[in-house]
Amino acid sequence: MDLFLAYQSLIAFVGINGLLALSVYATLCCGQLSLANAGFMAIGAYTGALITQHARGVPFVAVLAASALLPAIIAVPLGLPVLRLRGVFLAIATIGFGEMVRLFFVNWDYTNGALGLVAIPQRTHLWTIFLALAGALYLLGRLRGSRAGYALEAIREDETAARTMGIDTTAHKLAMFVLGAAIAGVAGALEAHLTFMVAPSGYGFGRVVDMLVQAVVGGTAAFFGPVIGAAFLTVLPEVLREAGARLGFAPGPFRLFLNGAILLVVILFLPNGLVSLLRRRRAA
Amino acid sequence: MVVLLLLGIACKEKPAGEASAPSGGALIGAALSLTGAAAVYGAQQRAGIQAAAEEIAQGGGPKLQVLIEDDGSTKEQGITVFQKFINRDKVSAILGPTLSNTASAADPLAQQAQVPVLGISNTAATGITDIGNYIWRDSLTEAQVIPGAFKKAREKLGFKTAGVLYGNDDVFTKAGYDVMRKTLADQGIKVLDTQTFAKPDRDFHAQLTALIGVKPDVVVVSALADNAAAIVSQARQLGWSGPILGGNGFNSPAFIKNAGAAAEGVMVGTSWNSLSQEPANQKFLEAMKKRGVNPDQFSAQAFTGVQILAEAIKRAGGKTGREEIEKGLGLVKDLDTPLGKFSFTPSRDAQHDPSVQQVKDGKFQIVQ
Repeated sequence: MDLFLAYQSLIAFVGINGLLALSVYATLCCGQLSLANAGFMAIGAYTGALITQHARGVPFVAVLAASALLPAIIAVPLGLPVLRLRGVFLAIATIGFGEMVRLFFVNWDYTNGALGLVAIPQRTHLWTIFLALAGALYLLGRLRGSRAGYALEAIREDETAARTMGIDTTAHKLAMFVLGAAIAGVAGALEAHLTFMVAPSGYGFGRVVDMLVQAVVGGTAAFFGPVIGAAFLTVLPEVLREAGARLGFAPGPFRLFLNGAILLVVILFLPNGLVSLLRRRRAA
Repeated sequence: MVVLLLLGIACKEKPAGEASAPSGGALIGAALSLTGAAAVYGAQQRAGIQAAAEEIAQGGGPKLQVLIEDDGSTKEQGITVFQKFINRDKVSAILGPTLSNTASAADPLAQQAQVPVLGISNTAATGITDIGNYIWRDSLTEAQVIPGAFKKAREKLGFKTAGVLYGNDDVFTKAGYDVMRKTLADQGIKVLDTQTFAKPDRDFHAQLTALIGVKPDVVVVSALADNAAAIVSQARQLGWSGPILGGNGFNSPAFIKNAGAAAEGVMVGTSWNSLSQEPANQKFLEAMKKRGVNPDQFSAQAFTGVQILAEAIKRAGGKTGREEIEKGLGLVKDLDTPLGKFSFTPSRDAQHDPSVQQVKDGKFQIVQ
C-alpha cells in the first residue's frame, strides 16, 4: 500500500503522458508531423484552471469538456491553412503556434505571466486519468479498419493518390488535428488539477518534443504504441534513480546519461518502436 | 500489459523499508535540482546540506541522515520525489525543492500527509508558505530584500528616476520585477521606461539603447546570472556609466566572473552577507572551503536549513517524529546561522536582516 502511495503520482503521469503521446499520434497516423500540441495542452490547462478557480461548483466533467472544446475550436481556423503545408514546413508552422501560445501566457497579466496560476484545487484522480486514456484509446482503436481509418492510412502513404481516389484529404486531416487538440487539452486540464499549478514554462518546445519522442519510441504502427512509449519513458528515470542509488552513484547527471543511452539503443535496434517487440514475439 | 510489467520491475527493484532511520537519528529528505535548468543552484545546495550535516554530527548535535534526490528541475519529478520521501522512505522532514514552481506543485502533498517541509531557496511571495502550516522556509522573499536594498542604494546614490529592464518569461525575474515596480512606486521614484527580454536572448543593445536614451538616474535590472553578466557588459559598452541595481539573480559569483570589469559598482540586495565576521558564518565559510566550493547565497541558505532542522529536533526534546519536528520548528528563535540571527515570522517565512552588497575590485563588498 505504501509502495502504491509512493508511486501513485508516477502512475498518474504515465496516464497523462500517454494521453499526450496519443494526441501527437492522432496527426502522425495520417502522416502529418504537427507539433502544436504543447500549445493546445496549455490552452486546456489554463481554461480548466481558470474555470475551477473562478466558477465554484462547476462539475469536473464540465471543466474537462471546456478544456477539450476550446483547443478544438482554435484548431479549426489554425488547421485549415497550416495543414496545406507538408513535412518539415508543417512542423515549423505548428512549432510557431506553440510558441505563440506560450508567449501569450507569459505576457498575460491576468494569469500572473511567467509565475502562472497556483493553488489550483486537486480534482484529478487516477481513475479520471485512466478513464480519459481508455476513451482516447477506444476512439483511435475504432478508427482502425473503419472507412475513415483506411482513408487516413491512404493519406499517410500518398496524399496525392488518396485525393485522386476521391478521399477528402483536407477534411480527414483537419478532423484528426482537431481530435489531437482536444486530447491534448484534456491532458493539460488533468495535469493542472493534479499538480496544483500551471505556468507557461511547462508548455515550451521541449514538452512537445517529449510527446513526439514518446509516440515514436512506443511505435506508431499500432494505436496503443504511443501509450507504451509514454509509460516506458515516464517510468525509466525513476527506475534509473533506484538503480543508480543501489549501485552507489550520487544522484545527478549520471541518470540523464543512462536515460539517453537507453533511448538511443531503443531507437537504433527497434526503429518501429517498442510495439515491434510484441509483434516479433507473436510471429515467433 | 507492458505498463504493468514496467511498473512491476520498478517496484521489484525497490525493497520496502530499506532506508529506515538509524536508531536515534532523523531521516531527512532533500529534493534538489541537480540536473536541468536549475542545476547551478542545486549543486550549491547539495554542498551546503552535506557540510552542515557533517558539522552538526561532529559538534555532537542530533544525528541527521540526509537523503538527497534530484528533481530534474521539473515539477513532475519533484512530485514523484516528494511522494517517495513521504510514503516509502518515511522521512521526518523535507528540505527543498529548489524551484518555487516545483514547490507550489509538490508542497501540497507534504501538507496533506502532515510532513514538515523547509524551503531553502523559494523566493516567490505567494503560493509557498500559504499552502499550509507544515510549509516553512528559510529563504527571504524578494519583497523582504528589495525594498531595503533600494532604500540603502538611494541613500548612497540619491536617484529620482529609473529605467527598468527585466526578463518576463522566467519565474525568478518576473517575481523580482513585480516587487521592484511596487518598491519604485512606494519610494516615489519615477520609472521613465520599462523594457523586457527573454531568457534565451543574448543581445540586449536595443533595450539598453532605449533605456539609456531616456536618461534615467539609475538602471534597474531583474535577470538571471548569465543574462545579467551580458546586460551589464553591453550597458557599459554603450557608454552607460551610471549606477546599476540588480535583482536576486545577480547574487552569484558567476555574475562577477562573466561580467569582469563591467560589474564594478553594481549594487544588489542579498539575504546572505558573505563578509559577516559572526562565528556561525566563519564556520560555514571554512566548511565550504574544505569542500572546495565557492559559496553563495544558495549554499548558505541550504546550510542554514539543516541547522534549523537540528535545532527543531533539539527543541522537541530530541524526538525526531514528523509532529515533533513540526512543533520544534515553531520554537526556533534567534538561532545563530550563516544568514545571521534566524527566526520564523508568524506565517512561517524567514526573518533575518538582509544586506546590500556592491561589486568592488572584482568582489562583492557589503554596503554599510
